[in-house]
Amino acid sequence: MSAICGIVRAGFDDYLSDALPAPQRRILRDHLAACAECRGAAAARDASLVFARRVEETVGADEVADVLASVRTGVAHIEAERRLRRPRGGRRAAAVAAAIALAALLAPAVSSRRGTGAPAAVANAGIRVTATAGRAVPAGGIEPAAAPPEAAAPDSSATVYELNPGSGREEPRVVWIVDRGLDI
Amino acid sequence: MELVYSQNRERQAAGELSDRELALQARGGDMVSFEVLVSRKTPVVVSLARRIVGNAEDARDVAQMVFLRVWKEIHRYDERYSVNTWLYRIATNLSIDFLRSSRSRERAHGATLHLVREREESSAGGATRTAEDRDLARLFEAVSGRLSEKQKAAFVLREMEDCDTRDIAEILGCGESTVRNHLFNARRILRKEIARLYPEFLRGRTLA
Repeated sequence: MSAICGIVRAGFDDYLSDALPAPQRRILRDHLAACAECRGAAAARDASLVFARRVEETVGADEVADVLASVRTGVAHIEAERRLRRPRGGRRAAAVAAAIALAALLAPAVSSRRGTGAPAAVANAGIRVTATAGRAVPAGGIEPAAAPPEAAAPDSSATVYELNPGSGREEPRVVWIVDRGLDI
Repeated sequence: MELVYSQNRERQAAGELSDRELALQARGGDMVSFEVLVSRKTPVVVSLARRIVGNAEDARDVAQMVFLRVWKEIHRYDERYSVNTWLYRIATNLSIDFLRSSRSRERAHGATLHLVREREESSAGGATRTAEDRDLARLFEAVSGRLSEKQKAAFVLREMEDCDTRDIAEILGCGESTVRNHLFNARRILRKEIARLYPEFLRGRTLA
Protein backbone atom coordinates (compact mmCIF):
# COMPACT_ATOMS: atom_id res chain seq x y z
CA MET A 1 0.00 0.00 0.00
CA SER A 2 1.49 3.29 -1.11
CA ALA A 3 0.96 6.77 0.35
CA ILE A 4 -1.52 7.61 -2.36
CA CYS A 5 -3.62 4.56 -1.44
CA GLY A 6 -4.35 6.14 1.97
CA ILE A 7 -5.30 9.46 0.39
CA VAL A 8 -7.53 7.76 -2.15
CA ARG A 9 -9.27 5.63 0.46
CA ALA A 10 -9.90 8.69 2.62
CA GLY A 11 -11.73 10.18 -0.36
CA PHE A 12 -14.28 7.36 -0.79
CA ASP A 13 -16.96 9.04 1.33
CA ASP A 14 -16.61 12.36 -0.45
CA TYR A 15 -16.69 10.56 -3.78
CA LEU A 16 -19.92 8.80 -2.83
CA SER A 17 -21.60 11.98 -1.65
CA ASP A 18 -20.50 13.89 -4.77
CA ALA A 19 -18.41 16.26 -2.67
CA LEU A 20 -15.10 15.52 -4.35
CA PRO A 21 -13.91 18.17 -6.85
CA ALA A 22 -13.45 16.94 -10.42
CA PRO A 23 -9.61 16.75 -10.41
CA GLN A 24 -9.51 14.66 -7.21
CA ARG A 25 -12.33 12.52 -8.51
CA ARG A 26 -10.28 11.75 -11.61
CA ILE A 27 -7.20 10.91 -9.54
CA LEU A 28 -9.30 8.53 -7.45
CA ARG A 29 -10.78 6.86 -10.50
CA ASP A 30 -7.41 6.52 -12.21
CA HIS A 31 -5.92 5.05 -9.07
CA LEU A 32 -8.76 2.54 -8.70
CA ALA A 33 -8.19 1.46 -12.30
CA ALA A 34 -4.55 0.70 -11.47
CA CYS A 35 -4.62 -0.58 -7.88
CA ALA A 36 -6.34 -3.89 -7.15
CA GLU A 37 -6.03 -3.47 -3.37
CA CYS A 38 -7.84 -0.15 -3.41
CA ARG A 39 -10.49 -1.61 -5.71
CA GLY A 40 -11.10 -4.25 -3.06
CA ALA A 41 -11.27 -1.63 -0.32
CA ALA A 42 -13.65 0.47 -2.44
CA ALA A 43 -15.94 -2.48 -3.12
CA ALA A 44 -15.97 -3.29 0.60
CA ARG A 45 -16.88 0.33 1.42
CA ASP A 46 -19.63 0.50 -1.19
CA ALA A 47 -20.23 -2.18 -3.79
CA SER A 48 -21.30 0.40 -6.37
CA LEU A 49 -17.71 1.69 -6.38
CA VAL A 50 -16.65 -1.29 -8.52
CA PHE A 51 -17.94 0.76 -11.44
CA ALA A 52 -15.97 3.86 -10.48
CA ARG A 53 -13.50 3.71 -13.31
CA ARG A 54 -13.46 4.28 -17.02
CA VAL A 55 -14.10 1.14 -19.02
CA GLU A 56 -12.35 1.42 -22.34
CA GLU A 57 -14.58 0.31 -25.16
CA THR A 58 -13.08 0.12 -28.58
CA VAL A 59 -15.56 0.55 -31.36
CA GLY A 60 -14.20 -1.11 -34.48
CA ALA A 61 -13.65 0.69 -37.78
CA ASP A 62 -16.22 -1.58 -39.45
CA GLU A 63 -18.77 -0.59 -36.84
CA VAL A 64 -18.06 3.10 -37.50
CA ALA A 65 -18.36 2.47 -41.25
CA ASP A 66 -21.72 0.73 -40.73
CA VAL A 67 -23.08 3.62 -38.73
CA LEU A 68 -21.78 6.14 -41.27
CA ALA A 69 -23.34 4.26 -44.19
CA SER A 70 -26.72 4.13 -42.45
CA VAL A 71 -26.50 7.79 -41.51
CA ARG A 72 -25.73 8.71 -45.14
CA THR A 73 -28.82 6.83 -46.30
CA GLY A 74 -30.91 8.47 -43.60
CA VAL A 75 -29.64 11.94 -44.46
CA ALA A 76 -30.42 11.37 -48.15
CA HIS A 77 -33.95 10.39 -47.13
CA ILE A 78 -34.35 13.46 -44.91
CA GLU A 79 -33.09 15.73 -47.70
CA ALA A 80 -35.43 14.13 -50.22
CA GLU A 81 -38.34 14.75 -47.85
CA ARG A 82 -37.25 18.35 -47.40
CA ARG A 83 -37.07 18.85 -51.15
CA LEU A 84 -40.58 17.48 -51.53
CA ARG A 85 -41.85 19.88 -48.91
CA ARG A 86 -40.01 22.89 -50.33
CA PRO A 87 -42.21 23.55 -53.44
CA ARG A 88 -45.04 24.62 -51.13
CA GLY A 89 -44.01 28.24 -51.45
CA GLY A 90 -43.83 27.82 -55.21
CA ARG A 91 -47.32 26.38 -55.22
CA ARG A 92 -48.61 29.33 -53.29
CA ALA A 93 -46.98 31.72 -55.74
CA ALA A 94 -48.51 29.77 -58.63
CA ALA A 95 -51.90 29.96 -56.95
CA VAL A 96 -51.61 33.73 -56.62
CA ALA A 97 -50.53 34.03 -60.27
CA ALA A 98 -53.41 31.83 -61.37
CA ALA A 99 -55.86 33.87 -59.31
CA ILE A 100 -54.63 37.03 -61.02
CA ALA A 101 -54.95 35.31 -64.40
CA LEU A 102 -58.47 34.21 -63.51
CA ALA A 103 -59.40 37.74 -62.49
CA ALA A 104 -58.04 39.01 -65.79
CA LEU A 105 -59.99 36.24 -67.50
CA LEU A 106 -63.25 37.16 -65.85
CA ALA A 107 -62.88 40.90 -66.26
CA PRO A 108 -63.97 40.96 -69.94
CA ALA A 109 -66.93 38.72 -69.09
CA VAL A 110 -68.09 41.20 -66.50
CA SER A 111 -67.66 44.03 -68.92
CA SER A 112 -69.54 42.05 -71.64
CA ARG A 113 -72.53 41.84 -69.30
CA ARG A 114 -72.48 45.56 -69.33
CA GLY A 115 -73.02 45.40 -73.08
CA THR A 116 -69.62 45.21 -74.68
CA GLY A 117 -70.37 41.83 -76.35
CA ALA A 118 -68.71 38.43 -75.99
CA PRO A 119 -65.67 37.35 -77.91
CA ALA A 120 -66.54 34.79 -80.54
CA ALA A 121 -63.74 32.45 -79.59
CA VAL A 122 -65.42 31.57 -76.32
CA ALA A 123 -68.54 30.26 -77.97
CA ASN A 124 -66.66 27.16 -79.10
CA ALA A 125 -64.75 26.75 -75.92
CA GLY A 126 -67.04 24.17 -74.39
CA ILE A 127 -65.80 23.32 -70.96
CA ARG A 128 -62.76 25.13 -69.72
CA VAL A 129 -60.94 24.06 -66.64
CA THR A 130 -58.82 26.44 -64.66
CA ALA A 131 -56.49 24.92 -62.12
CA THR A 132 -55.87 27.94 -59.97
CA ALA A 133 -53.12 26.36 -57.94
CA GLY A 134 -50.97 25.40 -60.87
CA ARG A 135 -51.88 21.71 -60.78
CA ALA A 136 -51.84 19.61 -63.93
CA VAL A 137 -55.05 19.98 -65.84
CA PRO A 138 -56.90 16.82 -66.81
CA ALA A 139 -56.59 15.87 -70.43
CA GLY A 140 -59.07 14.24 -72.75
CA GLY A 141 -61.09 16.95 -74.41
CA ILE A 142 -60.89 19.33 -71.47
CA GLU A 143 -58.86 22.29 -72.46
CA PRO A 144 -56.85 24.26 -69.97
CA ALA A 145 -57.71 27.92 -69.76
CA ALA A 146 -54.20 29.08 -70.41
CA ALA A 147 -55.18 31.19 -73.37
CA PRO A 148 -54.83 34.95 -73.27
CA PRO A 149 -57.62 36.72 -71.39
CA GLU A 150 -59.23 38.15 -74.52
CA ALA A 151 -59.52 34.77 -76.18
CA ALA A 152 -60.44 32.74 -73.13
CA ALA A 153 -63.03 34.94 -71.49
CA PRO A 154 -66.40 33.20 -71.21
CA ASP A 155 -69.43 34.87 -72.67
CA SER A 156 -72.42 36.08 -70.77
CA SER A 157 -74.11 32.67 -70.98
CA ALA A 158 -71.31 30.92 -69.16
CA THR A 159 -71.82 29.62 -65.64
CA VAL A 160 -68.89 29.44 -63.31
CA TYR A 161 -68.79 26.46 -60.95
CA GLU A 162 -66.28 26.32 -58.16
CA LEU A 163 -65.36 22.92 -56.86
CA ASN A 164 -64.05 22.61 -53.28
CA PRO A 165 -65.54 25.94 -52.28
CA GLY A 166 -64.07 27.16 -49.03
CA SER A 167 -61.00 24.96 -49.16
CA GLY A 168 -59.15 27.35 -51.40
CA ARG A 169 -56.80 28.49 -48.65
CA GLU A 170 -54.67 25.35 -48.64
CA GLU A 171 -55.92 23.10 -51.42
CA PRO A 172 -55.82 24.07 -55.09
CA ARG A 173 -59.14 25.47 -56.27
CA VAL A 174 -60.64 24.16 -59.47
CA VAL A 175 -63.01 26.37 -61.32
CA TRP A 176 -65.18 25.03 -64.10
CA ILE A 177 -66.60 27.44 -66.62
CA VAL A 178 -69.40 25.75 -68.52
CA ASP A 179 -70.93 27.27 -71.59
CA ARG A 180 -74.67 26.89 -71.06
CA GLY A 181 -75.23 27.10 -74.78
CA LEU A 182 -73.53 23.73 -75.20
CA ASP A 183 -75.74 20.67 -74.95
CA ILE A 184 -74.01 18.22 -72.65
CA MET B 1 -11.38 10.61 -60.52
CA GLU B 2 -10.86 14.32 -59.98
CA LEU B 3 -14.08 14.44 -57.94
CA VAL B 4 -12.98 11.58 -55.68
CA TYR B 5 -9.59 13.23 -55.24
CA SER B 6 -11.16 16.57 -54.30
CA GLN B 7 -13.58 14.87 -51.88
CA ASN B 8 -10.69 13.06 -50.20
CA ARG B 9 -8.83 16.33 -49.92
CA GLU B 10 -11.89 18.01 -48.39
CA ARG B 11 -12.27 15.13 -45.95
CA GLN B 12 -8.63 15.37 -45.01
CA ALA B 13 -8.93 19.11 -44.41
CA ALA B 14 -12.10 18.63 -42.36
CA GLY B 15 -10.32 15.97 -40.30
CA GLU B 16 -8.04 18.65 -38.91
CA LEU B 17 -10.91 20.82 -37.67
CA SER B 18 -12.16 20.82 -34.08
CA ASP B 19 -15.53 19.30 -33.19
CA ARG B 20 -17.02 22.76 -32.87
CA GLU B 21 -15.72 23.88 -36.26
CA LEU B 22 -17.06 20.71 -37.86
CA ALA B 23 -20.47 21.28 -36.28
CA LEU B 24 -20.52 24.87 -37.51
CA GLN B 25 -19.59 23.82 -41.04
CA ALA B 26 -22.21 21.08 -40.95
CA ARG B 27 -24.72 23.70 -39.79
CA GLY B 28 -23.93 25.55 -43.01
CA GLY B 29 -24.85 22.39 -44.96
CA ASP B 30 -21.37 20.94 -45.43
CA MET B 31 -21.92 17.19 -45.70
CA VAL B 32 -18.21 16.33 -45.65
CA SER B 33 -17.76 18.01 -42.27
CA PHE B 34 -20.84 16.25 -40.97
CA GLU B 35 -19.51 12.87 -42.08
CA VAL B 36 -16.16 13.55 -40.45
CA LEU B 37 -18.00 14.46 -37.25
CA VAL B 38 -20.03 11.23 -37.45
CA SER B 39 -16.90 9.13 -37.94
CA ARG B 40 -15.13 10.88 -35.09
CA LYS B 41 -17.99 10.70 -32.60
CA THR B 42 -19.43 7.27 -33.39
CA PRO B 43 -17.19 5.45 -30.84
CA VAL B 44 -18.22 7.81 -28.03
CA VAL B 45 -21.90 7.64 -28.89
CA VAL B 46 -21.93 3.86 -29.41
CA SER B 47 -20.17 3.15 -26.13
CA LEU B 48 -22.45 5.48 -24.16
CA ALA B 49 -25.55 3.98 -25.79
CA ARG B 50 -24.21 0.47 -25.20
CA ARG B 51 -23.92 1.14 -21.49
CA ILE B 52 -27.44 2.47 -21.26
CA VAL B 53 -29.31 0.13 -23.60
CA GLY B 54 -27.15 -2.84 -22.70
CA ASN B 55 -26.14 -4.37 -26.02
CA ALA B 56 -24.05 -3.56 -29.06
CA GLU B 57 -26.61 -4.03 -31.79
CA ASP B 58 -29.19 -1.73 -30.22
CA ALA B 59 -26.43 0.76 -29.40
CA ARG B 60 -25.55 0.97 -33.11
CA ASP B 61 -29.22 1.61 -33.94
CA VAL B 62 -29.34 4.32 -31.31
CA ALA B 63 -26.12 5.87 -32.67
CA GLN B 64 -27.67 6.07 -36.14
CA MET B 65 -30.74 7.76 -34.71
CA VAL B 66 -28.52 10.15 -32.78
CA PHE B 67 -26.66 11.32 -35.88
CA LEU B 68 -29.84 11.64 -37.92
CA ARG B 69 -31.29 13.75 -35.12
CA VAL B 70 -28.09 15.81 -35.16
CA TRP B 71 -28.44 16.41 -38.90
CA LYS B 72 -32.09 17.41 -38.51
CA GLU B 73 -31.37 19.72 -35.59
CA ILE B 74 -27.96 21.01 -36.63
CA HIS B 75 -29.43 24.48 -37.26
CA ARG B 76 -30.16 24.62 -33.52
CA TYR B 77 -26.59 23.90 -32.53
CA ASP B 78 -25.32 26.67 -30.26
CA GLU B 79 -21.56 27.09 -30.57
CA ARG B 80 -21.33 28.29 -26.97
CA TYR B 81 -21.83 24.70 -25.86
CA SER B 82 -19.53 21.77 -26.33
CA VAL B 83 -20.39 19.36 -29.13
CA ASN B 84 -19.85 16.47 -26.73
CA THR B 85 -22.44 17.73 -24.25
CA TRP B 86 -24.93 18.27 -27.06
CA LEU B 87 -24.25 14.81 -28.47
CA TYR B 88 -24.42 13.21 -25.02
CA ARG B 89 -27.74 14.87 -24.45
CA ILE B 90 -29.23 13.55 -27.68
CA ALA B 91 -27.64 10.13 -27.20
CA THR B 92 -28.83 9.81 -23.61
CA ASN B 93 -32.37 10.88 -24.41
CA LEU B 94 -32.63 8.52 -27.37
CA SER B 95 -31.09 5.68 -25.35
CA ILE B 96 -33.63 6.29 -22.57
CA ASP B 97 -36.46 6.28 -25.13
CA PHE B 98 -35.06 3.10 -26.64
CA LEU B 99 -34.74 1.47 -23.22
CA ARG B 100 -38.31 2.38 -22.35
CA SER B 101 -39.67 0.91 -25.55
CA SER B 102 -37.49 -2.20 -25.32
CA ARG B 103 -38.53 -2.72 -21.70
CA SER B 104 -42.13 -2.63 -22.73
CA ARG B 105 -41.34 -5.04 -25.58
CA GLU B 106 -39.58 -7.36 -23.17
CA ARG B 107 -42.51 -7.25 -20.82
CA ALA B 108 -44.61 -8.39 -23.74
CA HIS B 109 -42.25 -11.11 -24.99
CA GLY B 110 -40.81 -12.32 -21.71
CA ALA B 111 -37.14 -12.81 -20.94
CA THR B 112 -36.31 -14.74 -24.11
CA LEU B 113 -35.21 -11.66 -25.98
CA HIS B 114 -32.81 -10.74 -23.22
CA LEU B 115 -31.22 -14.20 -23.18
CA VAL B 116 -30.77 -14.26 -26.94
CA ARG B 117 -29.20 -10.82 -26.80
CA GLU B 118 -26.85 -11.80 -24.00
CA ARG B 119 -25.62 -14.76 -26.00
CA GLU B 120 -25.10 -12.59 -29.09
CA GLU B 121 -23.21 -10.07 -26.98
CA SER B 122 -20.85 -12.63 -25.53
CA SER B 123 -19.98 -13.96 -28.97
CA ALA B 124 -19.95 -10.76 -31.06
CA GLY B 125 -19.41 -7.63 -29.00
CA GLY B 126 -16.90 -9.23 -26.65
CA ALA B 127 -13.93 -8.91 -28.96
CA THR B 128 -13.68 -5.19 -28.45
CA ARG B 129 -13.34 -5.30 -24.65
CA THR B 130 -10.76 -6.77 -22.33
CA ALA B 131 -11.91 -9.73 -20.24
CA GLU B 132 -12.09 -7.60 -17.12
CA ASP B 133 -14.05 -4.83 -18.80
CA ARG B 134 -16.39 -7.43 -20.23
CA ASP B 135 -16.99 -8.83 -16.73
CA LEU B 136 -17.65 -5.36 -15.40
CA ALA B 137 -20.05 -4.61 -18.23
CA ARG B 138 -21.87 -7.90 -17.63
CA LEU B 139 -22.05 -7.23 -13.92
CA PHE B 140 -23.53 -3.81 -14.58
CA GLU B 141 -25.99 -5.25 -17.05
CA ALA B 142 -27.03 -7.89 -14.50
CA VAL B 143 -27.52 -5.55 -11.55
CA SER B 144 -28.82 -2.40 -13.26
CA GLY B 145 -32.14 -3.88 -14.34
CA ARG B 146 -33.95 -2.32 -11.39
CA LEU B 147 -32.69 1.19 -12.04
CA SER B 148 -35.04 3.64 -13.67
CA GLU B 149 -33.91 4.93 -17.07
CA LYS B 150 -32.82 8.27 -15.62
CA GLN B 151 -31.00 6.66 -12.69
CA LYS B 152 -29.17 4.40 -15.11
CA ALA B 153 -28.27 7.25 -17.44
CA ALA B 154 -27.04 9.43 -14.54
CA PHE B 155 -24.96 6.58 -13.13
CA VAL B 156 -23.43 5.69 -16.51
CA LEU B 157 -22.58 9.34 -17.22
CA ARG B 158 -20.95 9.73 -13.82
CA GLU B 159 -19.16 6.43 -13.30
CA MET B 160 -18.33 5.34 -16.82
CA GLU B 161 -18.11 8.62 -18.72
CA ASP B 162 -16.80 10.67 -15.77
CA CYS B 163 -19.10 13.62 -16.42
CA ASP B 164 -19.53 16.40 -13.87
CA THR B 165 -22.83 16.77 -12.05
CA ARG B 166 -23.50 20.03 -13.87
CA ASP B 167 -22.97 18.38 -17.26
CA ILE B 168 -25.19 15.44 -16.31
CA ALA B 169 -27.91 17.89 -15.25
CA GLU B 170 -27.65 19.62 -18.62
CA ILE B 171 -27.66 16.34 -20.51
CA LEU B 172 -30.66 14.96 -18.63
CA GLY B 173 -32.44 18.30 -18.60
CA CYS B 174 -32.87 18.43 -14.82
CA GLY B 175 -31.37 20.16 -11.80
CA GLU B 176 -28.10 19.20 -10.12
CA SER B 177 -29.92 18.16 -6.96
CA THR B 178 -32.07 15.80 -9.04
CA VAL B 179 -28.90 14.29 -10.51
CA ARG B 180 -27.49 13.77 -6.99
CA ASN B 181 -30.75 12.17 -6.02
CA HIS B 182 -30.61 9.84 -9.06
CA LEU B 183 -27.03 8.92 -8.22
CA PHE B 184 -27.82 8.30 -4.56
CA ASN B 185 -30.77 6.06 -5.41
CA ALA B 186 -28.84 4.28 -8.15
CA ARG B 187 -26.04 3.43 -5.70
CA ARG B 188 -28.56 2.19 -3.11
CA ILE B 189 -30.27 -0.08 -5.65
CA LEU B 190 -26.98 -1.33 -7.09
CA ARG B 191 -25.66 -2.13 -3.59
CA LYS B 192 -28.79 -4.18 -2.90
CA GLU B 193 -28.63 -5.97 -6.23
CA ILE B 194 -24.94 -6.78 -5.91
CA ALA B 195 -25.54 -8.09 -2.36
CA ARG B 196 -28.37 -10.24 -3.65
CA LEU B 197 -26.76 -11.55 -6.83
CA TYR B 198 -23.00 -11.30 -6.18
CA PRO B 199 -22.44 -11.24 -2.40
CA GLU B 200 -18.73 -11.97 -2.88
CA PHE B 201 -18.21 -8.31 -3.91
CA LEU B 202 -19.26 -7.15 -0.47
CA ARG B 203 -16.36 -9.09 0.99
CA GLY B 204 -13.95 -7.02 -1.02
CA ARG B 205 -13.53 -9.25 -4.05
CA THR B 206 -12.81 -7.33 -7.21
CA LEU B 207 -13.08 -8.25 -10.84
CA ALA B 208 -9.38 -8.20 -11.49
